[in-house]
Amino acid sequence: MPELRELTYAEALREGLRQLMEEDERVFLIGEDIGVYGGAFGVTAGLIEQFGAERVIDTPISEAGIAGACIGAALTGMRPIGEIQFMDFVTLSMEQLVLQAAKVRFMFGGKASVPMVLRMPGGSGTGAAAQHSESLENWFVHVPGLKVVMPSTPYDAKGLLRASVQDNNPVIFVEHKLLYKTKGHVPEEPYIVPLSQSKVVREGAHLTVVATSIMVNRALQAAEELAKEGIELEVIDPRTLKPLDDAPIIESVKKTGRALVVHEAVEMGGFGGEIVARIAASEAFDYLEAPIRRLAGLDIPIPYNRELEYHAVPQVESIVREARKLVKGEY
Amino acid sequence: MPVPIIMPKFGFTLESCQIVQWLVREGDRVRSGDPLCEVTTDKVNMEVEATEDGVVHQILYQAGDIVPVTEVICYLLREGEVAEAAPASAPNATPLARRIAESNHLDLAAVQGSGRDGKIMRRDVEQALKVRATPAARRLAAEHGIDLAQVPGTGPAGRVQGTDVRAVIAERAAQAAPEPPVAPARPLGKRDTQDMAPPSFPAPTDRHVVRLEGMRRTIAQRLQKSFQTAPHIFLEATADMSAIEGLRKTLKARHEKLSVTAVLIKACAWALLKHPALNATLENDEISYWHTANIGMAVALPDGLIVPVIHNAEKLSLQSIQQEVDRLADLARQGKLTLDQVSGGTFTISNMGMFGVDRFTAIINPPQVAILAVGRIVQQFVPDAEGKPVLRPMLNLMLSADHRVVDGAHAAHFLRDLRLVLETPSLLAW
Repeated sequence: MPELRELTYAEALREGLRQLMEEDERVFLIGEDIGVYGGAFGVTAGLIEQFGAERVIDTPISEAGIAGACIGAALTGMRPIGEIQFMDFVTLSMEQLVLQAAKVRFMFGGKASVPMVLRMPGGSGTGAAAQHSESLENWFVHVPGLKVVMPSTPYDAKGLLRASVQDNNPVIFVEHKLLYKTKGHVPEEPYIVPLSQSKVVREGAHLTVVATSIMVNRALQAAEELAKEGIELEVIDPRTLKPLDDAPIIESVKKTGRALVVHEAVEMGGFGGEIVARIAASEAFDYLEAPIRRLAGLDIPIPYNRELEYHAVPQVESIVREARKLVKGEY
Repeated sequence: MPVPIIMPKFGFTLESCQIVQWLVREGDRVRSGDPLCEVTTDKVNMEVEATEDGVVHQILYQAGDIVPVTEVICYLLREGEVAEAAPASAPNATPLARRIAESNHLDLAAVQGSGRDGKIMRRDVEQALKVRATPAARRLAAEHGIDLAQVPGTGPAGRVQGTDVRAVIAERAAQAAPEPPVAPARPLGKRDTQDMAPPSFPAPTDRHVVRLEGMRRTIAQRLQKSFQTAPHIFLEATADMSAIEGLRKTLKARHEKLSVTAVLIKACAWALLKHPALNATLENDEISYWHTANIGMAVALPDGLIVPVIHNAEKLSLQSIQQEVDRLADLARQGKLTLDQVSGGTFTISNMGMFGVDRFTAIINPPQVAILAVGRIVQQFVPDAEGKPVLRPMLNLMLSADHRVVDGAHAAHFLRDLRLVLETPSLLAW
């Protein structure tokens, strides 16, 4: 049997972008340093050579302009894919995204749509400090009209990118800086991972761990650790935060009776609260054996100091610790 | 026991009083009626008096304290009583807290008081009585009718976990499991060992479980008690309803409604007054023979039944009874009956004719001593005076009577007259 082909998360995205652009002339890329430089994290490397500067457009430092250009192009029939170099700077695009992209379809009674994708890497762990390390995905979850996708594996990255580009709604596509170099199986032929399908990435009987983005990897590592103690974690990756597929989560909690939600974004007002509320309000409530817990970023800007940065967000050890406490009945 | 002196409730709306000054000190000897302290409501000053002769033992509140009414403010030692017997070591609790604790078998010593000087308040007892349990444990306990308070909790701070409830369920199942059947006297094959696997009970998803509570519990308790304690006798008769049917037809043509139930209520009331042995209740070894016929009619509800009562049915016209029947049945289905409307019954009628039942027996509704079970009107051939078959609307009447109070002959005479009045309704005017 031939060995399964492996790509990094960045390579998977690049292959996905290339295939989409080859198939469909309406697809183009726009962002800062995505052309000759190949993007801050190298995702678009080589694409300008293949498709030219008309379809791989370098812009000035102008996030509102990138988002606005995507919206305008999408309204006129293109399928733009914008890149925000660091998720932090999407703050400059908020008016365009929240008031325009998200609303147009509704305010024009469905006569116009904004089929755009805006890619952006979030997350800490690179020593890039408070203005280059944020996880702002829940800002967009709170806006009706936007979809929010957050892949954790190379396979999902490529498949969800395709689903996002084909979707007729604006999609916020949140990548993670530390995931770009992670490897995994990625088929060469184009494929779709449908939006709004949560995935049970590891089955286990004792605790449901709902994790997003890089926290899926950390939860899986924690699960390996705990398996040695006989504690079996069931790890679920929502993959699409909005619209959220909560059924597998609720089913899982009915089975395990315990739930832990892990994400990198600040706990206060974070997406974990939504997951917790969905569980608490569901039929899974009657199966709970312990309070539902969250493990998420501290309520501080990400520190520059590497040691402090490390402790500002959940790590494998803290997931192990928290999961063990939940299963051992300390809560 | 030392005599507790409580803060009196001087007025209906009074909730607390302030102590102005104590007129006695601990150790003072007082006589019944002596003033102990002066208290003030928002309006007037009053005195709290000693209720017995004795020695002032423990003054619990000082001048200036605002004390809820009924709270103990001091104790008196009776003549010869020694101080050691004082409840100083007993937990300091409000009378209400104490009463709730007692009725729930809760040891107050284990309760942390949150009131002044650690006094145990009602809220403390209620808190202590709360069972900490996970939602899973609560669901399982409810499904299996298990009292969570009886389940030892192994979770944090003794919280009852689902696993704890499952342990109790397993224990019960083990106790309830029947003796294993005698093994066959031949070598065991694979099949046999399979057969001997523990019995598998249907998974909880194959059913839904409802706790015996509320109305269902009341019904269960009353009917079980009635059927177990009252020796029932059953007497059956069939009445020719031709005349009644004729009357109903006439009224119907006039767009007026007369139900069989209303007729039966009136007829029973008529017959009951002639046979007081059946218009009776038995309570605490006393038989009460009632002078009015208050007739209950069983009304089926989606989740049980209720028996509203038509009071003084003997005095009401058929029309009034019909109106009352309709009104009470409506209220019953809306769950809006008041206590008055379901109590005071002296006899009950259960009519299942509208459900197509031919005949049935009913269980007496205690403390009453008789109940009439009525089936549907059936067209039957019966012999006329010449012995020729004629088609008649016949109604089956099944009387259940408590044989402790009602002799067979009483019941028979009642049933005879009931039949008579049904067949000759003009007697109602008599």
